[in-house]
Amino acid sequence: MIDGLGTASYDAQSLPADDNVNPYAFSIALAGEWFVSKGAMIAYYGNVDFAGVSQYASRASWVAARFSSPMYADEWVVASGQGKVVVADRGHDVNSYDLEDGNLTIKQANLLGFAPTLELKQSIVPGFVTLIGTGKFLASSNGPVIFVEPPFRADPEALLGWSDCPSPSQHYDHHWMAQSFMAGVQGMLGRESGEERQYDFTGAGTILLQSSEKLVVDAALLRTVESHTNLLDAQSAGALGQRLIARSQQGGR
Amino acid sequence: MTYEQVNSKVVRVPVTQSRPVLARRGSMLGYSGQVSFRPVAGQGQGVRSMVGAALAGESTAMMVTEGDGSVLYGFRGLYTTVVQLTGDSMVVEADRLLVHDAHLQTSIEMVGQGGVRQMARGAVTGQGLFTTRVSGQGTVVLLSHGGTFPIQLNGDTVGVDPQAYVAHTGALQVELKQSLGMRDLIGRGSGEAFQLHVSGHGVVHVQASEEKF
Repeated sequence: MIDGLGTASYDAQSLPADDNVNPYAFSIALAGEWFVSKGAMIAYYGNVDFAGVSQYASRASWVAARFSSPMYADEWVVASGQGKVVVADRGHDVNSYDLEDGNLTIKQANLLGFAPTLELKQSIVPGFVTLIGTGKFLASSNGPVIFVEPPFRADPEALLGWSDCPSPSQHYDHHWMAQSFMAGVQGMLGRESGEERQYDFTGAGTILLQSSEKLVVDAALLRTVESHTNLLDAQSAGALGQRLIARSQQGGR
Repeated sequence: MTYEQVNSKVVRVPVTQSRPVLARRGSMLGYSGQVSFRPVAGQGQGVRSMVGAALAGESTAMMVTEGDGSVLYGFRGLYTTVVQLTGDSMVVEADRLLVHDAHLQTSIEMVGQGGVRQMARGAVTGQGLFTTRVSGQGTVVLLSHGGTFPIQLNGDTVGVDPQAYVAHTGALQVELKQSLGMRDLIGRGSGEAFQLHVSGHGVVHVQASEEKF
């Protein structure tokens, strides 16, 4: 114990089991397997082995049934063995959630780990994944999570996830729409408040929000968008490419 | 019309037809009700003040939130501080304003007096010499790194690191002081060569970090 630190020091026994160490770190009591996001592990006790999801799946056939997302397979590892694994994410708040025969959709970048009793699937909404079944999972948020109920419209950057309600539709601000009908959408550049587009939730359920953050570069999101461009013919794809180059030169978002 | 602090980083603001609010663009997290967002250019009123604001580097893209509903605001995970103005005025840098009642008056002004020499010093610290004055009756929400704490001044003087200074209210004079010694010139300084000296009667809001936006 170091004087004046004000926090206890932990050993393998006193470290919390399946509980928060502090608001920014969580200790998983591992007995078997857990899916953990790559880079989320900051420390561990015991006999724990970390293997990439695809590598582990070659040994354990059940993994393929639980991890139904080829896109994110590179960004997840399976922690297996006995011990305690501490996970954290950039000093963000870490929360644990217990699902009971339910489903919850969450931003992939904020999901830190989940028990293998849950099933992971890619959401229709890009950058989000859905967890189905019964079990515990961990997710980070910038500041405490805010829970709201529909009807509600959320900014895409602030949206952390949703549970039990139907997938959102996109809502465009009606003032902005009215003006763009008059001027033509192409002429609307520079007339944006940055809040024209929201995700619109209806029905019954719970929506999870966080304070918005600087966009994290998500390699998987780039792959998602790129795969959508297969819908375009060669000429449109070229036009899109030019527009994207123009945008990157402007330094816009 | 009360602003509710949801947590350290998010505020919930009720909006009605008669009470629109001005917010930083891109700071809306979500809302319920019939609410719309319209961009407005610059601070203050009229073209002249807009040009002035652009020259002073003291213009942050804002938007009006109108309609009936309740809106959540937050910005890039920064901490928020809710401040009530009761007829007095607050001096703050524009990029630290998250949201405020639209009926509050805003204007651009120069910090301190001292002409060109002082201006050059302002440029040296990277601290904007121009700031925004918000006045009237209503609520202002400030952004900061790690939260702010108020320092009450009753006729005395306090030195504040320019990077830690957020805003002040009341009858206060702000002066930029330079304590440049030989050590600073040869690069062995204390790192505190510039200080804002604030004196008078009022409250200074200081953030717990030296990080600028």
